[in-house]
Amino acid sequence: MAFYDEVFTPSGGPRPHTEALAGALTQLGREQLADAGRRRDAIFMQQGITFDAGGVGGDDSNGPVRDRPFPLDLVPRVIPAAEWTQIKRGLAQRIRALDRFVDDVYHGREIVHDGVVPWELIVSRPAFAREAHGIRPPGGVYCHVSGCDLVRDADGTWKVLEDNVRTPSGISYVLENRVAMLRLLPRLFDDYRVRPVDHYPALLANALRQVAPTEGEEEATVVVWTPGPFNSAYFEHTFLARQMGVELVEASDLVVRDAACYIRTTNGLQRVHAIYRRIDDDFMDPLEFRPDSLLGVPGLMRAYRAGTVAIVNAVGTGVADDKAIYHYVPEMIRYYLSEEPILANVTTYLMADGEQRRHVLDRLHEMVVKPTSESGGKGVFIGPAAGEEELARQADIVRREPERWIAQELVQLSTCPTASPDGSLAPRHVDLRPFAVFGEDIHIVPGGLTRVALREGSMIVNSSQGGGSKDTWVLEDDGDGFTERGRVAADSWARPRMPDLRTGDWTGQQQQQQQQR
Amino acid sequence: MLARIAHELYWVGRSLSRAEHTARLLDGVFHADLQGRAADAGSTRLSWEALLAIMGADRGSGEASMPARDEVISLLTLDPSDPASVLVCVTGAREGARRVRDVFSAEMWEAINTFHLGLLRRDMSAALRSGPYSLYAYVRERCALFWGVTARTMLRDEARAFLEAGAAIEAGDMVLRMLRVALPTEEEAEPSEADPRDGQAVALLQAMGGFQAFRRAIPAPPKASLVGSFLLYERAYPDSVAHSVDALHAALTAADSSYRSSAPVLRLSRLMADLDFRSRSVEGAGPLAQTLGPVQRELELVDGDIAMRYFGGASAPVARLATA
Amino acid sequence: MHFAIRYLTEYRYDGPVTDNLNALRVTPATTAIQRVDDFGVRVDPQARLHQHLDYYGTSVIEFGIAKPHDHLSIDVRARVATSAPPNPPEGSWVAAEGDGYRGRAIEFLLPYEGEPDDLRVDELVGLVRADTPLGTLERVVQVIPDRFEYRAGVTYVGSKVEDLLEAGAGVCQDFAHLALVLLRRNGIAARYVSGYLFAPPEGSGEGDSAEVETHAWLEALVPPGEDGGEPLWVGIDPTNRCLAGEHYVKIGHGRHYRDVPPIKGVYRGTATAKLDASVRMHRTDAAGARV
Repeated sequence: MAFYDEVFTPSGGPRPHTEALAGALTQLGREQLADAGRRRDAIFMQQGITFDAGGVGGDDSNGPVRDRPFPLDLVPRVIPAAEWTQIKRGLAQRIRALDRFVDDVYHGREIVHDGVVPWELIVSRPAFAREAHGIRPPGGVYCHVSGCDLVRDADGTWKVLEDNVRTPSGISYVLENRVAMLRLLPRLFDDYRVRPVDHYPALLANALRQVAPTEGEEEATVVVWTPGPFNSAYFEHTFLARQMGVELVEASDLVVRDAACYIRTTNGLQRVHAIYRRIDDDFMDPLEFRPDSLLGVPGLMRAYRAGTVAIVNAVGTGVADDKAIYHYVPEMIRYYLSEEPILANVTTYLMADGEQRRHVLDRLHEMVVKPTSESGGKGVFIGPAAGEEELARQADIVRREPERWIAQELVQLSTCPTASPDGSLAPRHVDLRPFAVFGEDIHIVPGGLTRVALREGSMIVNSSQGGGSKDTWVLEDDGDGFTERGRVAADSWARPRMPDLRTGDWTGQQQQQQQQR
Repeated sequence: MLARIAHELYWVGRSLSRAEHTARLLDGVFHADLQGRAADAGSTRLSWEALLAIMGADRGSGEASMPARDEVISLLTLDPSDPASVLVCVTGAREGARRVRDVFSAEMWEAINTFHLGLLRRDMSAALRSGPYSLYAYVRERCALFWGVTARTMLRDEARAFLEAGAAIEAGDMVLRMLRVALPTEEEAEPSEADPRDGQAVALLQAMGGFQAFRRAIPAPPKASLVGSFLLYERAYPDSVAHSVDALHAALTAADSSYRSSAPVLRLSRLMADLDFRSRSVEGAGPLAQTLGPVQRELELVDGDIAMRYFGGASAPVARLATA
Repeated sequence: MHFAIRYLTEYRYDGPVTDNLNALRVTPATTAIQRVDDFGVRVDPQARLHQHLDYYGTSVIEFGIAKPHDHLSIDVRARVATSAPPNPPEGSWVAAEGDGYRGRAIEFLLPYEGEPDDLRVDELVGLVRADTPLGTLERVVQVIPDRFEYRAGVTYVGSKVEDLLEAGAGVCQDFAHLALVLLRRNGIAARYVSGYLFAPPEGSGEGDSAEVETHAWLEALVPPGEDGGEPLWVGIDPTNRCLAGEHYVKIGHGRHYRDVPPIKGVYRGTATAKLDASVRMHRTDAAGARV
């Protein structure tokens, strides 16, 4: 089976944009890579940049927290500027269509009336939120934060594997990975001009303020809402709150009075205008969702309906990233935007469709079968890795509840050289989750989270299942994006333009005295 | 207390404060420089060129040599012959400390001596190979250790006041230098719309260790002008110029039994009032960049006043440099 | 028929509570056969009321009481006029399989989460199957009360169909939930209905006034007969073995009880509440007075 390698061509030489990287890695050698790996683990443990097995790469989920240093692989993944531009355009297009879809589903349902997406499919999605029916969120945006998963198939074509417009996690690792790489292996950056990623929190904060319904009166109060320290993505919640300089709140900090939402502070109640919630729809307002649950903020939906608070992402976006709906996204793009999709889907079969189901069940040993409403790799069945008995069992499950399953052709994920603990390099499969923020406009942070399957041959990149991650470099646009650097140009070495800084300055005085000796 | 001792203490404080700020700055520039950067005219400029200007390093213009980034780092970090290097600052502080061991606690002396020895053992080329981050982290940690031990073990007397006065005036001076170099000088260069990606302003804040503080204090994206006024005026932030001026004033007031007639104290009172006034009327006080010069000149005058009133006119100690 | 309805709910807390937030689904619906002449809600302690229509078109009234209080009374008054529903159409099973039928009804055809996987249900599904959808409706309203005893206190508000099967007894809510499953499994769209039923106790003589409780029944979508027309939602009441008529005052419908609970609320505090609820219905038209 042939895979596309991100660094080397099939003939064995590096690709043009990875030549310098390959050279630098050779120069570093095993010893130094292994050493950097040890320093990485020490730094991550010391800084508490850890993850929990249930965590990164999927939705926020509740479960026990087991801290391990986040497995950052030391070989970066490099994406040339032109390629990135294409990805960025494709994602922006896709997110715009998904956003329109959410709006349509909860209002006019035109896409249903026009026969593009069946209503039956929509109403049978568990994430279809009847509570959001008819509500137009402040700012008119639904999918403020998204993290679609991209893969490259055998010929190097980028494809969308999954959409995620609920609470995608992993952005904190994108930023921390970059910081760590700059500290651990600064030499690797010498030959490239890599686009920074650290502005993500500013983008998010901006978007939150843009959609916050302040009625032009006051400074918007923005908060991050976490389910609490037991959530597997808690590190990320604290990270984002800290980076944005906003409060990290739990449900008990929020209260709704009349039709507005407030946080309880030592100075009494303070109005909240935008909530970046890292919590599922179901646990937001016990008055509207799940009557058996007392979690959440009673009355929050009332405030939301009154338009006094922005909830980010909007309530009910989960209907758009459902894996069965995914099948229709290319059609959605054509329908809403009158454009051809820039990024293709992976071929997907709906198990609810009899013909498609028969086709898949005949070839189950070659297919990947996924539950429609899960994420983070939960419940995914990989045909080629299954035995006879497992195949039969899965076929049974699919036949019993076909609407809960989809099937996809197995994608031959691309590979990228990856360092093992002893510093030796070997190709491992990778995917990519870029993060987009949609306020008044869509911004996508260059790169994203490259996830890597650390086991040989494995295509499961979820960190909960032995996956790691890589720093992802998007190169600057000018020229070919990689330049000779590390040397300061001659003119910058000239006497700095500081007309009066040194007058009476003690450093200068000291220096002259020494020069006299 | 003896003017000479007070003088030494003042310079120990200054030297350590300078060592820490230099290390932070080098770390910040190094990491900011590795990535591509926004080519926005209005954004903060933090570069090797800027760094040299901040440090007042003079290599003569138009020299034939074309020194590499690594050479700049080497010079300013561990070069024993460059007066602006971290090593020389720490050596100076350690020499000063040796002369005032009677007023230092044993732990303070040990902290500073260990720091110096540790720095001498550091191998610059190894640090450059694996990245200088850990070296700068070491400098930060050791400085923090010294000030922590001082807070715990040193009598809060006149001696301590002069040690802290030195640290405060140097911190104020270093931050002013950074701002003067890093901030856009022309007001019209300020981008009309807040660029959420003023990566250099962020780098400056991160270098100072003040990113989270800024985030908590200012609910807006860190663009150059906001970062500038934060580092200049925000009295609640311990490394702002305003806070350093406050601390210097407090230290001198504590050290001087008749501070009401003290020229540096009076000058500082005026400076505090002036900063306070400017911070309240940021709009009216003209471009931030035009405030920096006068404030820095005031601090220089305070430095001179301090030397006149307390050290019998002695300026920076010269003798200890011979041993460096 | 004309009714005056008074639905009074009293909570007494054994200590002070705060932030008492409630959502009421108590307003009679306006439909082709039902008209609301007057409606009002009074809440004590006083609170501002917010009203909106939910996804199913049910009117929802929400309010919150922030300051500490130890009692809450919700006093709902309504005047409603109902008329007899039209005769149900006699559509065939074939008509219930057409796209027109499914398209209209799909939400009420799909199984609701947590539906029972139980042989006893399978058996009942087969048992109620009749020659026509309408025939099936008629069987459902007989089979359920035949098999299960109406008894309060056996099940609770959160009970599932399995609990009814296990206990062999339940209340109208449980009967309605089971009926929904039996109809949906037979390909008939069915929705849960919450409302008020005017049912004066037998032999009371008076007949114009009744102490009742909020009631649950269901509506099934019956396909049109051969003469064409639209499918029609037909109310049936498996608790009372009948099709719903003029005595039924509908509040709203949903897939399940959870979509139309009359009162849903939460409050802050550890105090426990004592609940008193009563629904009083009174016939105000001449016909009622004459009976």
